[in-house]
Amino acid sequence: MAQYILLRLLRWIPGVLLLLFIVYALMFFGGGDPIQIMFSQEATDAFQPGNPRYEAVKEQLGLNRPFLVQFGDYVWKALHGDLGLSLHNGRPVIRSISFALPITLSIALAATAIIAIVGIPLGVIAALNQNQWPDNIILGSALFFWGIPTFVMAPLLMMLFVLYIPILPVPRGWTGVFTVNAIIPLTVAALRPMALVIRQARSAVLDVLSEDYIRTARAKGIPERVTITKHALRPVLTPVVTQMGVVMTNLLAGSLLLEIVFGIPGIGRLIRDGIMNNDYSLLLGCTLVILAFVTLTNLLVDLSYPLLDPRLRQAQRGDR
Amino acid sequence: MTPSSTVDLKLASDGAANDEKAIGIWKDSFNRLLKNKMAVVSIVVVLIMFFFAIFGPSLTPYDFLTQDLSIRSQPPSAEHWLGTDYLGRDVLSRVIYGARTATLVSFLVVVLSSLIGVVVGSISGYFGGKVDFFLMWFTDLNMAFPNLVLGVVLAVSLRPPAGRWMEQMYLSTLNPVFRQSSLLDLALVVVVITLVAWCPYARLLRSQVMAVRNYNYVLAARALGLPTFTIITKYIIPNAIGPVIVQMSAGMGSAMLTESALSFIGIGINPPIPTWGNMINEGLRQWTSDPHLLLAPALVLGLMTVAFSFLGDGLNDALNPRQWKG
Repeated sequence: MAQYILLRLLRWIPGVLLLLFIVYALMFFGGGDPIQIMFSQEATDAFQPGNPRYEAVKEQLGLNRPFLVQFGDYVWKALHGDLGLSLHNGRPVIRSISFALPITLSIALAATAIIAIVGIPLGVIAALNQNQWPDNIILGSALFFWGIPTFVMAPLLMMLFVLYIPILPVPRGWTGVFTVNAIIPLTVAALRPMALVIRQARSAVLDVLSEDYIRTARAKGIPERVTITKHALRPVLTPVVTQMGVVMTNLLAGSLLLEIVFGIPGIGRLIRDGIMNNDYSLLLGCTLVILAFVTLTNLLVDLSYPLLDPRLRQAQRGDR
Repeated sequence: MTPSSTVDLKLASDGAANDEKAIGIWKDSFNRLLKNKMAVVSIVVVLIMFFFAIFGPSLTPYDFLTQDLSIRSQPPSAEHWLGTDYLGRDVLSRVIYGARTATLVSFLVVVLSSLIGVVVGSISGYFGGKVDFFLMWFTDLNMAFPNLVLGVVLAVSLRPPAGRWMEQMYLSTLNPVFRQSSLLDLALVVVVITLVAWCPYARLLRSQVMAVRNYNYVLAARALGLPTFTIITKYIIPNAIGPVIVQMSAGMGSAMLTESALSFIGIGINPPIPTWGNMINEGLRQWTSDPHLLLAPALVLGLMTVAFSFLGDGLNDALNPRQWKG
């Protein structure tokens, strides 16, 4: 088991470092001069390159060190929970993130729960009625909602339930998962990635139903309901859990758009603030957090395989 | 989707040199596609959008940029079918022009990203080894992380250097083309989306190449001493084209989606050039008082992305019958 975990870590950690390196390099070479962005409100000529004050700040912030040294320093500090200071307001980036992250995560987790609770049964129902009307309706609507972008569905639902069928207040800001304000954002967040889970669950059930042991169970005269719940559903979990990594990726990307539409002060809003203010250190911090969470989800998915599939507990050596 | 059609396909792919059979596959796939009602509707919707993208701006009675402050934010009327926006511009004209932006961007992205993906994927699949390992590791990573976030990072950090380069080009050539910020926006968006969108093509082609690489006819071609380039382009890539077409349809939809998402956030194509994304963003400012400003672009964009999603699904069923449902 330890070896398995180690192999998984070896697969993901260099990857995250490489991506972080690319992002860092892009912002380092592509972004504007951090000192000019920091002092953009003050007398500009004092903070032009060559001016002693400019050079002093540069020296103090360590910006005249070689690129690789600065990157190493960033990673080292990030490991210790220091993501630097915002270029815009000088606040520690980690503090802004620590306020925003719980909100984004609670949306993502609540949406994941909805997706699992609603999506898996829908996928199973679709499979059990293969090519009949429940299947067609479920698959069709999954594909339909998968097709609609977050920032289209969000305003449309908002208009529908606030303007045309006025049963909800204007959802603005964030008051917690279990409040009226969260209904529309959570629905939007869950509807799109749900298609992934529905399709995966459906094809997994179909695969399992064609297995010999299901035929044996049916031949033994076990009631169909028991055959499905006791024998067919367990192996379906593995492919569905595999999809959760993709679902999480989708939820985090969707949160960026969702939070802009509804004014939710999460990571997505921070990214937007970072874009608006050329705040590269904030952007870098948010990207790092998203990279970390996607990786964590994928790691958890990887680690859950041996728990879900006993066959893997025996044969878990090598790369695959 | 009768069993006999899959048998046909297998026979046909076994005799790859037989041209008549090859046409048979395409016809067969096309017939299968036509049986899928949603896919047919989607094709019609997409064709209508292409029509408006090409001819639309010359058909509209109003210019998409002309402002008329005396008719600001008017609801739909006989003169302005979709009303006017907060600067008195005709919303219908802007939505139609948005079709042009969306089509142009997604078309360029699909062409560029499939080219890159096909090249990288066939190199990776044909040569294998370390190159393959690294490329697949990288595409794995790229696909594991949210495209939109990577796109945002790329768009934010490529803009300043690209802007400086444009300014320099203008100063050295005095060609006014380099002063057009809409051109910069367009080029940047295409480059950014291409950079995040090529990976699925590469993976697809790699798996196809790996499957085909050791077939007898490829071995025969190699034994005859044909150059590797010819083998890849003449014998391997044509075999992989079905899945690539499916991916292109999906890729067109997702490129359109990413473009409008970036424009919605404000780092894609900026006003005054209308895209559905930045129109939705503008519409959100006053959606309670002027819902039509939000409704029009949102419905059109939603319709288009849904159409591409159904089209991709239909193409998948039609061209990859071995994966058909059930």
